[in-house]
Parts: sequence; structure tokens; C-alpha cells
Amino acid sequence: MKKKSDAAKRKLPKKVVSHPAKVRIRKIPTGVRGLDDILGGGIPEFSFNIIAGAPGCGKTTLAHQIVFANATAQKPALYFTVLGEPALKMLRYQQQYTFFDEAKLGKAIRFINLSEALMNQDLNAVLEEIIKQVTAAQPGFVVVDSFRTMVRSTKSGGATELEMQSFIQHLAQFLTSWEATSFLVGEYDAVEMRDNPVFTISDGLVWLSQVVESNSVVRKMQIIKLRGAASVPGLHTIRISDDGLQTFSRTLRLAAKRINPMRRRRLSMGVPELDKMMGGGILEGDSILVAGPSGVGKSVLATHFIAEGTRQGEAGILAVFEERPKGYLDRAGSFGLNLKRPLENGKLEVLYDRPVDLSVDETMQELLDAIERVGAKRLVIDSLVGFEMALAPGYREDFRESLYRLIRALTGAGLTVLSTVEVEDTFTGLPLSHHLMSFLTDDIIRMRYVEIDGEMRKVLLIAKMRRSNHSKDIREYVITDKGVVVISPRSMDYNGLTTGIPTRTGSRQPQEEEAAPEPKAKK
Amino acid sequence: MSQATPQMRDFSKSLIAYETMENKSSEIKIPTACRVSEKLRPHLATLMGNVGFRALLLRALALANPEVAWLRSVQVTADGSLEGFDEIETQVNPDEIFEGCVVLAAHLLGLLVALIGEGLTLRLVREAWPKLSLNHLHFGKENKR
Repeated sequence: MKKKSDAAKRKLPKKVVSHPAKVRIRKIPTGVRGLDDILGGGIPEFSFNIIAGAPGCGKTTLAHQIVFANATAQKPALYFTVLGEPALKMLRYQQQYTFFDEAKLGKAIRFINLSEALMNQDLNAVLEEIIKQVTAAQPGFVVVDSFRTMVRSTKSGGATELEMQSFIQHLAQFLTSWEATSFLVGEYDAVEMRDNPVFTISDGLVWLSQVVESNSVVRKMQIIKLRGAASVPGLHTIRISDDGLQTFSRTLRLAAKRINPMRRRRLSMGVPELDKMMGGGILEGDSILVAGPSGVGKSVLATHFIAEGTRQGEAGILAVFEERPKGYLDRAGSFGLNLKRPLENGKLEVLYDRPVDLSVDETMQELLDAIERVGAKRLVIDSLVGFEMALAPGYREDFRESLYRLIRALTGAGLTVLSTVEVEDTFTGLPLSHHLMSFLTDDIIRMRYVEIDGEMRKVLLIAKMRRSNHSKDIREYVITDKGVVVISPRSMDYNGLTTGIPTRTGSRQPQEEEAAPEPKAKK
Repeated sequence: MSQATPQMRDFSKSLIAYETMENKSSEIKIPTACRVSEKLRPHLATLMGNVGFRALLLRALALANPEVAWLRSVQVTADGSLEGFDEIETQVNPDEIFEGCVVLAAHLLGLLVALIGEGLTLRLVREAWPKLSLNHLHFGKENKR
């Protein structure tokens, strides 16, 4: 390695040099929920963009939404229609969306048909018409829809590749020089991306797609490139509703949330004996999984957890996927756990999603919105299996990954998350979770049935508590009118409780007929 | 289904009355009463092209024909203009021409209302007749979302 010269070692006084300011690229809000986050702040001003994809993906709706959100009489939008959807039909359908503001038509948004220039003349005539209109209107936004049909028609008419490239180059330069943010809308196939001059010249490329899988349609968006902005890579879910497009960033806007380095408290689960087993309760900001077979009391335990939170003034969210909220709340009431009052006070929100083609990201967005609304400190997801089953098949592949991101980010921000998962009991072992979801959690409570003395009883154990010591006991519990009640001390008289068919090791004590811990059917 | 309701016909009459008042003399060989479509043509052609406008006007003409016999002699040119009025003005009395033009305009506007709604149709009318006060005009039919 070279030694530094003496001259280099000498410290030179710092010169105060005034550098000319870098150009600041303003980001234009798209008016599409979630999209600005994906784009890294919005659409870079004066950029030349392509909105591409197969038919029915929402390309025109996206373009409309952007211009309706931004166009004004001072900075109008020119919407050139070519050989695609006739403008009259476009207006007919687009006005069904809530973002459509007819007051903007005319002065702020002008539709101009270019079909005849294209059909009767050539690309130069089209360019001249665009230049004429843009020069006259000085728009802030220009859309050409569908640009692809323009390319197709000229190709069949004999325009060479060089002429086409020259046209695109001129168009891009002209629109940027006139300080217009522009969008070319077109139907393209992924294989066409290679060697296509329009993709090379464009500053931004928004790719929309839809995949049909098991009778469900999954719509996705990808920002393939966006000069001047740090967009979020990957495929993002989109949904088209009455409000137009809504996007769900695969980072769920959570990347910016910081891990909360607070000193963590112990939170009560609402079952005193269980708190003791957990070393005083669950650590705030943990994710806990309650696993067990059907009917073992997972939802009851989840109800204790959320009710205890609201009792202590901590707002909560209850995301229910298998039961109707009314049934859930009524059952809580039967255990003396009043969830209706915090619900009325805005300290609790119940999210109920019926099993219809949900996307994992939009459901998670719904959760995030609710968490923000009530300032939740506790979240219950009951259950993960129900959640997954409610998703469209095409989204299930993403489930574990998205759930991982969500739970990690939420717990990092200090939220305590309890999820339930149904696990089928076997009588040879003790699976913790068949969905390989245990990696999502800091803590696991396993509940199961065991056969003892001719009865099907219930036991629970703390299988895991990350960064915390906990009881290793297997404890019997019952569900009474008080909810989950852990009843007996650790049993020393049985081996193999985790298998569900324990063997007695202790001596059978002569005992009187004892009352069953749970009420039995009367004779 | 025809959208040329009585209210739409009244609206067309008002438009024609206004147009007649504004353009008493013109070199266009179309009766003043039938110039509503001519006035709308550039605005609609910008939006939907001449081909699109021509298709719309042809449909309006077809809807109006059963009610107005003399309209059968009228044709729509490639650019969406009306022609064939030369003989009509000598053979049909002015009141009948006026009524026929009202029916044609009402069907044209009715088609627009059916396709893009009352709000956007009124907006187009305002563009074509910017000085016309539309406060007292309405189509008499709710077609809003």
C-alpha cells in the first residue's frame, strides 16, 4: 500500500465552496391510495412514463385517476385517445368511479381523438397534431391511450423501426421540453419489453398484470423502472373498486417504522395463573401463537387477552376470520368479559372478513388502518388458518411472507400480537403448528386434549418464550363461566401428557367420586 | 330506447331558438333549426373523431325518421355534416322543418345522455354555446349516479 505523501498528510484548510444546487425533482401525488409509497413519493415531474399490461388490468383507470387527481385549469391534462377504447365509452365507464369529477372536463381535462390523423396519415401527422394541441394548451399532463394501437397501426402501414424510434424520441423530448408529465398507455406482453425502443426511452415503466388461479383473479403492479425515484421493487397487489385503483405495497408502508427500543413491560394475558407461568405475563411487543385443536379454547384465551388490554386502557383490534363478530362478543360477555363497552368507546375494533377472494396485502392494510385509527396496543388474529382460507388461492403463496413482514413490523413498533392457529392433535406427538408459522412468533402456548381417567380433559403448556424464562409445567385448565381457568398444580402422576394418552406413574390414590371439573350432561 | 323525452324536445327548442337568434344569416346550407348538430360537431369530433360523431348522428337520424318523414331525404357526410336540404326547404313548410330539427336534436342529445349522462352532455352543450345560460334548462330526467 502506498504511503501518503507529506503534502497529502498535511491538513488543508477546508474551502468553503458553494456548489450549485442540484435539480430537485418534484414528486407528483398519483391520487391512487398506496401508490405514492410504492413509487418512492410519487411520479417524478416531467417524466415520460409507460403504463403497460394486458387488457383489463386497470391501465386506463390508473391514467384517469392520476389526471383527475392533478389536472387543473392552469395545468390541464390532454388525454389523447387513439384506436383503443372510444372516448365516449371511456367517459361512460370512467364516470362510475368516485374520483371522476365531471367539473374538470373541458378546462382541466380535455379528451382529443387522434384516430383519424393516424388512419389517414402517418406518424408525423400524429406528432404534429400532438405538438399543436400541447403548444396551444400547455398542459401539465399528457396521456396517449392506447399508444400500443398507434404502434401497431403504423407498423402495418409500413413505418420502419427507425421511424418509430424517431417518433418516440421526438415525442419524449417534446413533452419533457414542454414540462409535461406524460403517460403512454398500452397493451404489452412481457416478452415485448426486450428491444423495444419505447421502454428504453421511457423514464418510468408501470407494469400491470392479472393472473387467474382457481377461479380467482389476482391483480398485480410492478414498477419496472422509475428514474429519479426510489420505488419499491417487487409485485404489489392492486384492487379495483368504486374508488378506482388501490395499491398495496408489499412493504405495507412498514419499512419506515422503527424498532421500538423501549423497556418492555409484562402484559397480563387476563388469566392470572397463566401470567405466572409466563414469568409475569407476555412481554410487550411480542408475537404469541396460541395453538391447539378445535374447541380447546384458543378464542377464549384470545378474548381474555384483548379484554384485559381494554380493561387496562390499551386499545385493541380483534381480527376475526371464522366467527361472526356478534357471536364472538356474546361469548365474551358470557365469560364476564365486556367487549361491547370498549367497542362503543372506540377502544376496540372488530374486523370481520368473510371468506371471499381477499388479498393478503389488502387485508393487512385494513388491519394497519384499524390499528392507526384506534391507536391499538394489542392485536388478535383469530385465526391464521381462517385468515389464509379467506384469501384468493393466488394470494396464499404470499401469505406467510406477508404475515411475517406485518407481524415483524407491528411488534417492532411495540404492538403485542396474539394469533391463534388450529393444530390437529395427534396421539403420538405435539406439533406446535402445522403451518410452519412458529417462526413468526416469540412465544407459543400449546393447548391440547388429554385422556385421563376416562375423561377428555385439557392441558396447556408454554412451549416457547423468546428472551424470557417461563414455566415448563403442563397444566390442566377448564373453561368455566369465567373463561379459561388454570386449575391444578403440575401433575406428577402421569407421563406422556403431551401425547394425549398419558400413562399413570403415580399410585392411584383411593378417592371418592369427585365432581368433574367441568359440568357434565345431567342424567 | 328513445331518450328524446318531451323535456329533451323543449331543451332542443330552446337551443334552436338561441341558435336562430345568434345566427340569423349564414352561408351554411342547413336550415338554422338544424344547426344544433353542426354546432356540436367540432366539440364531439375532438372527443370521438369524425367517425364517432358520424355514427352518433346517423343513429339520431334513424331514430328521428319514423317521426319526421322529410328527414329521410337528409344524409350524413363522411365528416359528420348534414346534407340534402336544398329541395326540402322548397317542399316542406318552415314549421315542419323546425319541428323535424327539434326531433333530430332531441334524439342526438338523448343519445349523448344515454351514453355519457346528463352532466357531461350539459357540459358539452355549454362548450358549444358558452354564452347560453343553462340555468333554466334541464333534460327533465334524472340520469345521475
